Amino acid sequence: MGRVQAWIAERIPVTGEQIRELTNEPVPNHLKRWWFCLGGTPAYLFLVQIVTGILLAFYYQATPASAYESIRYITHEVNYGWYFRSLHKWAATFMIAAVILHQMRVYFTAAYRRPREVNWVIGMCLLMAALLTGFTGYSLVFEQLSYWGATVASNLSDAVPVVGPIVKQMLLGGEEYNAHTLSRFYIMHAAILPAAMILLLVVHISLIRLHGVTELRFGDEKADEPAHFNFFPEHLYTEIIVGLVLMVLLSALATILPAELGPKADPQTTPEVIKPEWFFYVSFRWLKMFSLTFAVLSTGFIVAAMFVWPWIDSWLIRVTKSRDVSIYIGIAATILLIGLTVVEAVLEH
Amino acid sequence: MGDSHHDERPVSPPVEKREADGSRRDFLTAASAVAMAGGVAASYGTLAVMAGRYLYPSEDHNTAWQFVGLVDDITREKSLTYESPGGARVVIARQSDGNAAADFVALSNVCPHLGCKVHWEPQNTRFFCPCHNGAFDATGKATLGPPAEANQSLKKYPLDVVGNQLYILAPLVSVVQAESRPSVARRSDAAREA
Repeated sequence: MGRVQAWIAERIPVTGEQIRELTNEPVPNHLKRWWFCLGGTPAYLFLVQIVTGILLAFYYQATPASAYESIRYITHEVNYGWYFRSLHKWAATFMIAAVILHQMRVYFTAAYRRPREVNWVIGMCLLMAALLTGFTGYSLVFEQLSYWGATVASNLSDAVPVVGPIVKQMLLGGEEYNAHTLSRFYIMHAAILPAAMILLLVVHISLIRLHGVTELRFGDEKADEPAHFNFFPEHLYTEIIVGLVLMVLLSALATILPAELGPKADPQTTPEVIKPEWFFYVSFRWLKMFSLTFAVLSTGFIVAAMFVWPWIDSWLIRVTKSRDVSIYIGIAATILLIGLTVVEAVLEH
Repeated sequence: MGDSHHDERPVSPPVEKREADGSRRDFLTAASAVAMAGGVAASYGTLAVMAGRYLYPSEDHNTAWQFVGLVDDITREKSLTYESPGGARVVIARQSDGNAAADFVALSNVCPHLGCKVHWEPQNTRFFCPCHNGAFDATGKATLGPPAEANQSLKKYPLDVVGNQLYILAPLVSVVQAESRPSVARRSDAAREA
């Protein structure tokens, strides 16, 4: 046994002490509250997406002539195809929701403030990448929603000044939706965006490790208790429990409400009632309310402001002498977000 | 080796020469660094440009002039519905009595807002776009929704008259037709048979 250990130690020169140092990041006590595990949740769901995505890629064909049929084949003929496809769909929904909730938690606890501004920006990049992955994902099914969603989105980018038309051409591989479009969406969905997200996640988590988690104290904590606990194994146990609960939930949803297949894309007919996935309801309603130029420019402005919010926040604190302005703005934005989503969900047009 | 001592000790070069050497060395070091960086940037830059050109779609030739019918067959009372090989259904109507291209109109059913297809609502005598609630009157002028706010109209297909024959510039193939690779259905059927 000693010889085996020596053999390994010679080739992988890491001591147990070093591994403990790496994994045993002291975790502040507030992370014992489930609400604060929302960062690990999307990370776990991302893993589910990679695994189920690879499984789906075994059968999926990214061409207009065969995409829809390959999804039908996965759903109805491949063993457990319906299950893995439904897991992929539900985990995507949960991942976007968890990313939004995680971001709201960070926002409302002001955890983005100095010196953690850069990690907020990286988080925003992850949010954008997650939304884009969601969009390209449902475009791959090649049902009516996929086709018209892609058409609307590419024409939206066309309305962006200067770079818009180039982005549209690059996205569609032509002036309009054509035979090369699906493979572009597929490459983005299954290669470029996941690779970018993995890189961003590495930086995101590294920065959390370097800065340490933002320390929050709650009134009900006893002063004589230690303020931290170990990442390994205590916090890992929490994350494993979160993962198992999610898996049970995803499996239940995949069984009760499996992913369905709408009518096949018909480039000649836009359906009478058309809606994007729920996470784009807000922008879809926004587009109905305002002219295209205003809708696109205002959306761009809001997203840009979200990216640089840590600096806007510190400016607001200087100007208003109050540390709570961002909270009020956040509450108003959340009400608007939920309101527009509900309106779009309820109204047919 | 170490035994033989020379009387002449190594003489340091004069201070000015050393400074001149030093600055020349610094210059050469900096210049070669710049040249290296420039070379690396230029070569990978070229590669990036080539990759960009590769990814940027080449011009598509999906549209062509197509024969619609004889101009005399289209009257103010009787419009003509043309179906292009790409599956687009275009209504061509006469708007004045002459026999020039300008005397006819072929409205596109693509909404100028974000590219969805409009459809005719007879009960409201309007074209309606279900994506963002845009509406257009029978002449194609926007009356409601974001297209009306932006003062947009339905586009018109280009028409041309040669002799007494009417031609339209319309797409040749649709998205699915452009695809010619075998479908999964055929493959799975073949697999099952095997």
